[in-house]
Amino acid sequence: MRKQLTAIAIPLSLALLATACGGNGNGNGNGSAAGGSASPSGSASSPASSGGGQKNEQVTLKFMGWEVSPLETESVKKGIESFMKSNPNIKVEYTTIPGGTQYVAKMQTLVLGNEAPDVFFLQSDYYSDFVKRKSLLDLTDRVQASGIAGDLIDSAVKLSTVDGKYYGIESCIVAPVLYYNKELFDKAGVPYPPSDPAKAWSWPEFVDAAKKLTVKNGDKTEQYGVYGLETYYNTIAEIMSNGGNWFSDDLTKSAANTPEVKEVLQAISDLRKKEGVAPEGKLLTNSGMSASQMLQTGKIAMLVDGSWALQELSNMNFEVGMAVLPKFKEAVTHGQAHLHVASANTKHPDEAWKLIEFLSSEEYQLQNVKAGLWLPNHKSLYSEEGIKKWLTPGVHPDGFEEMIPYFTSSKTYPYALLSSQKIQEDTSAELDKYFLGNQPLDKTVENIESVVNQNLQAQGK
Amino acid sequence: MLLPNVLGFLLFLLLPVLATFAISFSDWNLTDSFQWRGVDNYKELFEDKVFGQVFKNTFVFTLVSVPIGIALSLVLAVFLNQKLRFVRFYRAAFFIPVISSMVAVSVIWQWIYNPEYGLLNYALSWFGIDGPAWLTSPRWAMPAVIITSIWKSLGFNMLIFLAGLQSISDSYYEAADIDGAKWYSKFARITVPLLSPTTFFVTVMSFINSFQVFDTVYLMTQGGPARSTSVMVYYVFQNAFQYFRMGYASAMAYVLFFIVMIVTFIQFWRQKKWSVY
Repeated sequence: MRKQLTAIAIPLSLALLATACGGNGNGNGNGSAAGGSASPSGSASSPASSGGGQKNEQVTLKFMGWEVSPLETESVKKGIESFMKSNPNIKVEYTTIPGGTQYVAKMQTLVLGNEAPDVFFLQSDYYSDFVKRKSLLDLTDRVQASGIAGDLIDSAVKLSTVDGKYYGIESCIVAPVLYYNKELFDKAGVPYPPSDPAKAWSWPEFVDAAKKLTVKNGDKTEQYGVYGLETYYNTIAEIMSNGGNWFSDDLTKSAANTPEVKEVLQAISDLRKKEGVAPEGKLLTNSGMSASQMLQTGKIAMLVDGSWALQELSNMNFEVGMAVLPKFKEAVTHGQAHLHVASANTKHPDEAWKLIEFLSSEEYQLQNVKAGLWLPNHKSLYSEEGIKKWLTPGVHPDGFEEMIPYFTSSKTYPYALLSSQKIQEDTSAELDKYFLGNQPLDKTVENIESVVNQNLQAQGK
Repeated sequence: MLLPNVLGFLLFLLLPVLATFAISFSDWNLTDSFQWRGVDNYKELFEDKVFGQVFKNTFVFTLVSVPIGIALSLVLAVFLNQKLRFVRFYRAAFFIPVISSMVAVSVIWQWIYNPEYGLLNYALSWFGIDGPAWLTSPRWAMPAVIITSIWKSLGFNMLIFLAGLQSISDSYYEAADIDGAKWYSKFARITVPLLSPTTFFVTVMSFINSFQVFDTVYLMTQGGPARSTSVMVYYVFQNAFQYFRMGYASAMAYVLFFIVMIVTFIQFWRQKKWSVY
């Protein structure tokens, strides 16, 4: 960690004067030389009339993200290369630090130490916290001048703005979905789960299928029906399907202690404790395998996971299917994704914006969407023409097209609209007590309700 | 000659200690200007259910790990104080965990605790015991953390005990042999009393270290599952560097400080009655 810090702290400003400018078309000739070798030496180019600043000097931007999978880092790097090619005066240094809460803690420290990178990833759950602490650059004017927002789907606009102002742009959408191993379904003679939201399985149908897909050898279960629902991220999709939510509509109160939430929590817990079709607790650490590997090797027949997992799953050499989640009342999922933001203290706001604009562009999005990692958040990519641009056989399984309305109409992930770190940790701790321990359901929802309300009150919401 | 030392003490110890005390009465969050909250932070502590839980966890951790750790290291020291073959090798072997990096230790123990492929459950299966999912079960995560902590600090306490044992003169044991004393009465009547200053030192240090346990928890369980292994210092860390509530975290740090101080005072006071010297 310390090494990384010093690496980041290496002074960046190699302000070499050159007559370069970030033209889109005319940078090509010399751009390949400058961008390809990533050398700090300037390159000459005829001035172009691009929308950004008319900066002439060489600028280095620090850009930071996390590494969830090597595939993801690779695609970010590919994107940066093409960005540097068309903007030869901007050099982007990309660094990754571990994801999750560690990422946020580290990023907070960097911000406070005035060492924040110019541009960085930020989980949607922490976005409003960062805005509140005035750590992010207000991009509202730039976003409006660029016209980017006009093409964003509604949930993306909602998640990218705090009190009507943009401090970043949501990268894409990801949503929880149901994956399945086709071979296991064929073997058990169970029909595949539907990908058309109109035909989504009801919960009893889902449990029934999971039972048929659970294989026992003596009293040891060799293959489980389903895995992955016992986290708040996935649980909330089912709660929404039951017409509930963790929070009241105006996000001022907890709605944990409601019949809608309780019914879902009970049903999810029953999968393991009553029906025995889901494996014990946190299987990942138990087996040393990732959830995707469990699906691949037939330890589980169905997996509830984020849509991002498709990139990994489609690379794994087995017949993977993707379907909508089973429904209680209506078939819904929720959408959110990390944002690309700029530090409030960046010395190069124009260049930082250029990078964010690029990261939000169709070009960059397409690359990740085609790989199965992301779902687009541009309206234009959901038109009939647009879908053709990215739907990729071999990555997107059969029936994926039917799922598209499911994603475009996905509900807003409420944690992304709140200062929610503490709320999430408290909720997780209580859910763990319920799912992993033996805390009764009523006590669990009451506890969640009281800690969440206390927290929301303290936030002055 | 004294000046640099005193300056260092003032700047890096006394000042932060006093500043923390002042901050514990404010709502400072590192960025915004702060307001005084009086004793509200302390009041909030008493109402905070999570604090209640981490308080309990810290005591459970301490009250279980300290006695077991001391007993085991004493037994070990007595064994390794004999003229065994390879005794130096064994002493070094038991000391290795102390000098190992906690990060490496926690990675290895996470594998040992792995329910399906871990060594521990494999060993338990020889006796027909179906081991639990150690680190992911709210009931077993704390015992798992305690076991690792004891294992890690065993060698250090053993070394101190060894030094203590070697300072006990052989003549006592010779006299006891002449009187025909059995090994257990020699242990109870000679070793334990004459070792009491060492035991005292080890006890005080172990208590202080256990109250301040952090790295094991941070690396192995992150306080989970269901906060079953969350201890006070871990919660201080969360409040300070994850929720950025410096005032609240400082108040908690001071509560911890007073607990450690009181416990240590009690030990010093009792020492007069326990110790032979």
